[in-house]
Amino acid sequence: MQTVTINNLTKKFNSTVAIDNLSLSIRKGKITGLIGADGAGKTTLLRTMIGLLLPNEGEISVLGFNPVTQKDELNEHIGYMPQKFGLYEDLTVLENLKLYADLKGVEHDFDKMLEFTTLAPFQDRLSGALSGGMKQKLGLACTLLGTPEFLLLDEPSVGVDPISRKDLIKMVKEMITPETTVLWSTAYLDEALNFDEIIVLDKGKSIFMGKPTDLADNTKDFENKVIELMGGFNMETSPIAQDYSEIQTDIEYTVVADNLEKRYGDFYAVKNNSFKIKKGEIFGLLGPNGAGKSTSFKMMCGLAKPTSGTARIMGIDILKEPEKARTNLGYMAQKFSLYGSMTVRQNLEFFASVYGVKNTKEKIKKAISTFNLEEYENQPAEDLPLGFKQRLSMACALIHNPPILFLDEPTSGVDIIVRKEFWVHITSLAQKGVTVMVTTHFMDEAEYCDRISLFYKGQTIAVGTPKELKEKANADNMEDAFITLIKESEK
Amino acid sequence: MKILFALVKKEFLQIMRDPSSIIIAFILPLISVFIYMYGLNLDSPRITMGIKNDNPTPETSTLVKSFGHSKYINSISTDNMKEIEKDIMRSKIRGAVVIPNDFSTKLERGKSADLLIIADGSETNTANYVQNYAMQISNLWLKTSKYKNAMAKQVIEQNSRFWYNPDLDSHHFILPGSIAITMTLIGILLTSLVIAREWERGTMEALLSTSVKPIHIVLSKYIPYFILGMLSLLFNVFLCVVCFNIPFRGNYFVLILVSGLFLFASLGIGLMISTKLKNQFLASLMSIGLGFLPALMMSGFLFPIRSMPLFFRIFTLILPPRHYVTFIESEFMAGSILPIVYVNAIYLSVLGFILFMAVLKNTSLRLEK
Repeated sequence: MQTVTINNLTKKFNSTVAIDNLSLSIRKGKITGLIGADGAGKTTLLRTMIGLLLPNEGEISVLGFNPVTQKDELNEHIGYMPQKFGLYEDLTVLENLKLYADLKGVEHDFDKMLEFTTLAPFQDRLSGALSGGMKQKLGLACTLLGTPEFLLLDEPSVGVDPISRKDLIKMVKEMITPETTVLWSTAYLDEALNFDEIIVLDKGKSIFMGKPTDLADNTKDFENKVIELMGGFNMETSPIAQDYSEIQTDIEYTVVADNLEKRYGDFYAVKNNSFKIKKGEIFGLLGPNGAGKSTSFKMMCGLAKPTSGTARIMGIDILKEPEKARTNLGYMAQKFSLYGSMTVRQNLEFFASVYGVKNTKEKIKKAISTFNLEEYENQPAEDLPLGFKQRLSMACALIHNPPILFLDEPTSGVDIIVRKEFWVHITSLAQKGVTVMVTTHFMDEAEYCDRISLFYKGQTIAVGTPKELKEKANADNMEDAFITLIKESEK
Repeated sequence: MKILFALVKKEFLQIMRDPSSIIIAFILPLISVFIYMYGLNLDSPRITMGIKNDNPTPETSTLVKSFGHSKYINSISTDNMKEIEKDIMRSKIRGAVVIPNDFSTKLERGKSADLLIIADGSETNTANYVQNYAMQISNLWLKTSKYKNAMAKQVIEQNSRFWYNPDLDSHHFILPGSIAITMTLIGILLTSLVIAREWERGTMEALLSTSVKPIHIVLSKYIPYFILGMLSLLFNVFLCVVCFNIPFRGNYFVLILVSGLFLFASLGIGLMISTKLKNQFLASLMSIGLGFLPALMMSGFLFPIRSMPLFFRIFTLILPPRHYVTFIESEFMAGSILPIVYVNAIYLSVLGFILFMAVLKNTSLRLEK
């Protein structure tokens, strides 16, 4: 039985071909993973399947309906979770659930759902005030209401910590029936490895369809296979780092956090956070959503005022001389914070000029080519696929050759090849003496860090090299170490 | 039906949690009523004038005194022409009256005497007041002075009655007019944001994958803002009639009916902007340009339409606030005048219906046309 059959589907946006003569089928009752590079057409494919977009050519049949002509009938049988899920942030958790239950015509019986999502204690909280992982769980809960026959999830695990990510998968597996078909788009290959089937998209074409275990049986090999399918990865040296002038300084600890604390009323977002980062070190800040990582980042670059304590960047106190300290910083915020209506080039030009960069033209040309932004050069930044937005943010953060880099989830939503590229840049820059502080939810990336601070509920619960942390938790990979150490601290 | 009810409820919750809609519906009218009541006054102003008497006699001194006694004039006596010039330049006085040295002599001889009135022509409106006040006061003085026999005999006795607004109090039409402004803001500005907001926050994409139909989306936007607007109308009328004693001579049923039609048309404009633009910032700019400014300047609320050039006079006919301002001012001051009520009610309901259909047609269930 097939839930979806697609024959020779083509979808164009003006002259750009998003889906190119694609044919595929999705089996009923299976969980199918959809993976592919940024801009490969994953979101477009999902949207076309449920009739939100109309195909230019080809035929689609979903649950026996034609989404072009029978969208209304089809909608009654599906659950779709868009990438930017439509939670009403000014409604509470319960009000959101009630709304979607009414829209789908199902009873208001949320006990099981609230228990599964562990949202029960927060049911009267405004959904805008939830942490990233919680929001995704609520979004998924709303999508699962009414037990749809076909579930389409567009990267539900972007920006979600390993624990919440496991919860999302558990939620789906437990809430569906054996007849439910799931199509799950993801950037996490370890996730995809556990699905029944996978489809790998590349430039609007399917380059692999079948069981993930046909490719490999462990994450490492699977990853390599997928990379190979997507054209291979062969970047060894970073062109950015090559041109970077060696950082000269006598300061031993270029980044110092000194008893940083942020309190809201009785609630400590960050409590007594102290660490020192050596010149040229890659320091990873790991922790679940809402642990206070972003707050620490903001305090350390002078965007949020600490309740007490301070930070020093290249020996300069961020509280006393914020402007001076910041000239040494390249900061990449978690939320896309460039000018959406300006083009890629205009954004780069703007950041180059605010930082007073010399020979701007050359620098921008270089940045555009190293991050493969040529195709999008004259497009408004807000129209870029997620992964390209991240590349542009990184390019803007690096444009003035700062000796220190703060990267808040730089690889969130970026495809595997670009993630690898990002890390080649990061490690090569560190060799040139750039100090890097980084957060990530990809535990394989944590291995690149020289030292890691594990952060939970506003406090540091463990610091050390990846090896030390794994030994401490008695685990053989970072993900297990992460989960074990967090659980231990709960006791 | 259940879907519609759920969406309407959601919209209400959002309105309640969003302070800006409550501010526009209830706080803004309060502020604007106070401003229009105490800050803005289109009635005859009190004017400061200089007075120079070059012919001091007992008779002329009574003339000077009558300038001093007038409730429309503040008079400052002076005997220096230079000073008058300087005071006018500094805007200390708006004009001056000079009694020449042959004033009484000429009157004694039964000749016509001159009285010099100086006004600041750069402010024509004020200059007119200066001239009229000076003429009226000197005529009144002449009637009671010993030269009254020299005056031509008055053949026509003037008797003025000001219908609909006997006290000539401009607040009686400004305050009702301000209701039209508030209703326009609720109808156009608030609603221009609501559909655009759903697109921006990604909630629309999630809605479109459920069994929601365009009519549900459209009605769920019309109904809550219609109710909010009508509540604001009642609050406004209460402020005007009860708190500020503005006379209401019309019929409350007719007032509510036509106001409802006006709101219906305004909501249509706001939602049309919102569906078309899908961007809150652009939508708010557009609604100020298309909604608020025409309502303020071209509805006859502040500037009389009759003194506009022909092109604009015709143009104003398509603006819903222009019809509504005419209606609400006459409803308050003159009572229900049926031709005005019919014309406005028919125009507003036709326009409202066309806009409703247009909004419905433009609410697509897909991400592209």
